[in-house]
Amino acid sequence: MALLESAHEGQPPAGAGTEPGRRTRSGRRASAPRRQDNVTAYLMIAPMVILLGIFVMWPLVYSVYLSTFKISFYKAPQFVGAQFYQYVLESSDFWHSIWIGLYYALLVVPTGIVIALLLASFIKTLSGRVAAFMKVTIYLPAVVSTVIASVLFTFMYQDEGVVNWFLSLVNHAPVAWLNSPRWALPAIAVPGIWLGFGITTLILLAALLDIPESYYESAKLDGAGFFQRLWYITIPLLKNVLLYLVVTGFTLAVQMLDLPLIMTNGGPVGATSTPNYYIFNSFRDLTPYATSYSLTASLLLFAVLGTISIVIFRLIKSDKAVDG
Amino acid sequence: MWTRFGDEPLKEEKVHKRRSTWALVASAVVAASLALSGCGSGGGAKTEGGKTVITFWQQKFEDYQQAWFKKEVDAFNASQSKVKVDYQVVPSDTWAQKLKAAQAANKAPDVQTTNYGNIAAAAANGELTELDGLLPASAFADIKDNVKSFVTIGGKHYAYPMLVEPSTVLYYRTDLVAAAGLDPKSPPKTWDELIQWATKLTKGNVKGMTIASVAADLGWASWGLQYNACGHLPVADDWSKSTATDPCFQKLLQFYKTLYQGGLMPKTPKVGYADASPYGQGQVAMMADGSWAVGQLKETFPAMVAKTAVAPFPSMDGDPTKTTATLGGWTLTVDAKSKAKTQAAGFIQWLLAGDPAIMASFFKASGFSKYTVRTSVDQALSGNTDANSDPFMKVISDKVVPYGKQEPSYPWDIALDFGTAIEGAMKGNLSIPDALKKADGQINDVIKKQSLAGTEPTH
Repeated sequence: MALLESAHEGQPPAGAGTEPGRRTRSGRRASAPRRQDNVTAYLMIAPMVILLGIFVMWPLVYSVYLSTFKISFYKAPQFVGAQFYQYVLESSDFWHSIWIGLYYALLVVPTGIVIALLLASFIKTLSGRVAAFMKVTIYLPAVVSTVIASVLFTFMYQDEGVVNWFLSLVNHAPVAWLNSPRWALPAIAVPGIWLGFGITTLILLAALLDIPESYYESAKLDGAGFFQRLWYITIPLLKNVLLYLVVTGFTLAVQMLDLPLIMTNGGPVGATSTPNYYIFNSFRDLTPYATSYSLTASLLLFAVLGTISIVIFRLIKSDKAVDG
Repeated sequence: MWTRFGDEPLKEEKVHKRRSTWALVASAVVAASLALSGCGSGGGAKTEGGKTVITFWQQKFEDYQQAWFKKEVDAFNASQSKVKVDYQVVPSDTWAQKLKAAQAANKAPDVQTTNYGNIAAAAANGELTELDGLLPASAFADIKDNVKSFVTIGGKHYAYPMLVEPSTVLYYRTDLVAAAGLDPKSPPKTWDELIQWATKLTKGNVKGMTIASVAADLGWASWGLQYNACGHLPVADDWSKSTATDPCFQKLLQFYKTLYQGGLMPKTPKVGYADASPYGQGQVAMMADGSWAVGQLKETFPAMVAKTAVAPFPSMDGDPTKTTATLGGWTLTVDAKSKAKTQAAGFIQWLLAGDPAIMASFFKASGFSKYTVRTSVDQALSGNTDANSDPFMKVISDKVVPYGKQEPSYPWDIALDFGTAIEGAMKGNLSIPDALKKADGQINDVIKKQSLAGTEPTH
């Protein structure tokens, strides 16, 4: 901020303390170069806007149009209006899959953030070389393919796998982790957390290092303990980063497909049928009904995810650019 | 450049240049759109070096099948100079989405493997070419009478059959059975006896039994036992309503539940129902599997063959004439949008309906674990002692196939809903009546939303 202030020294900020007429005249004087700037700006964003238009906006609009038809690749499509929206909204399986997605997100996101925050705080206290080693170690799961992690954890959850071996040490009978409606989702949430906390830790570490040490020093001088410092300094200053992690984490977690697809095939009894798995599975059915149904379900999932993001933004009131 | 901005000729030049740029961009977009939309549409059949190219997708099966198909496709390509078959193997778990994506892009294969259960729905949706005008009548006359109805809809042939295989047969380890004090020559005949056997054979790391335990497998692998329990499937014959709440289905769900919750079968199976590996590797003493498992045991676990016996799967009440297995199998079909229908049908005729020695070689490669569908192939194999002396296949031929029923052709959603009910009962998610009630509601929902009432196919 200090740098910005000095840069503006000698000339008043635009609009501050100026008469309306003067503002208009200066605006006119600046209009030609500003227009050039605008042209340059539009040209710079044009490629992305064109690509988004072709590959995102147009397909989205066309999908909405197609969702009003019963699509067949061999017969003329039949216009059915909003019938498939009604079918999807009436489907208990669709809402069950949304619940499974939310439950999975609830298991993965808060746990992942807490673990990442603890690890980031720990790494912050380490010396340079050890911290670098820890950062690499923690980031490693993030570069492991989800497919490999799925296979690895599937073996770990077998009757004679390492997880049940630990249980046997306390004389507990083996648990059918991936074949029990109660345990299957928590069981696939574990690799979900493991795969995600590397990047979360690094982001939180960067945010922690951005908090000036002087804040903590003054708080200590005022007699603040660890939890007071955490509550009144660390968490408020991490708010925007945490908001980013919660929103992106939630929307990504609700859309999880790979882990249930590889580890449980959406089972047992639909216990791991996340929304994307449900839609994908509907699409795999070869009937024309299934094509329109899965398309409509995808569009409704888009609406549900948007709503969830808005709710999170509202719940955690984001301060615009809290600057340390 | 900027200093000369005010010059009139240059302004024009710039405007022209800008117009040219926009024209270029517009042309590129139009060209790209044409290229994208032009993919696969328009024009005639694909040709290569003067030969018509037809694509053939084969769903991946046992390894020997891929080897057999490749050898025969190469032989077909070498046998003539007008048609070239482009052979591709597609894994079964990606088959549906790959086929659907290809259909959407008008790039579906000219020839594909289609199972009996999918023919009616595909024909109703206009996906298949009627083969009657493309193959000679003698080719259809050669199909065995009990298989003809499998490929016929409304009196027309939409597929040419390749093989038939019963979905459920009981395999058991004679050595373990004898060690448990049971008589290997007198296999269980009722579900209760089977549970007693499974209980006695469950020892240490070896489970007494393996059978389907996930909805996706139970959906089809339990069809035979659904017939056994109730004499019908959980849908009325005219597809007008669900019959899942018929009390007889409760016994079926109880049977599966007892096996699962009694710890008589693996609770976390590593492979699906169709794969005989857990039995071949000695992890289970008995196995419910299709006849195709005979081929897998002979090829991959030959040491297990001498210790194995085969029996019809037990009947609920011990009546051996009641159905315990459906007769599934595979056919080849021609896509309705194929631009080379005649050539595609010609390939099918050459491979499946031509020289009986070709299909005889297939059944030989399968270890005679599948059944022929043509009279002439039976005649070609009549002199083959292996084909007639295999003890496993003799039991299946005499005691399972005669009572087998055709696979249903209703949408998979219905089969999956009922499979989910069985899985729910097995894994304690729902009580048996609640699981059946839920399936009943879901099946009725499918019937209503897909307008199925009265659309059952007529042969």
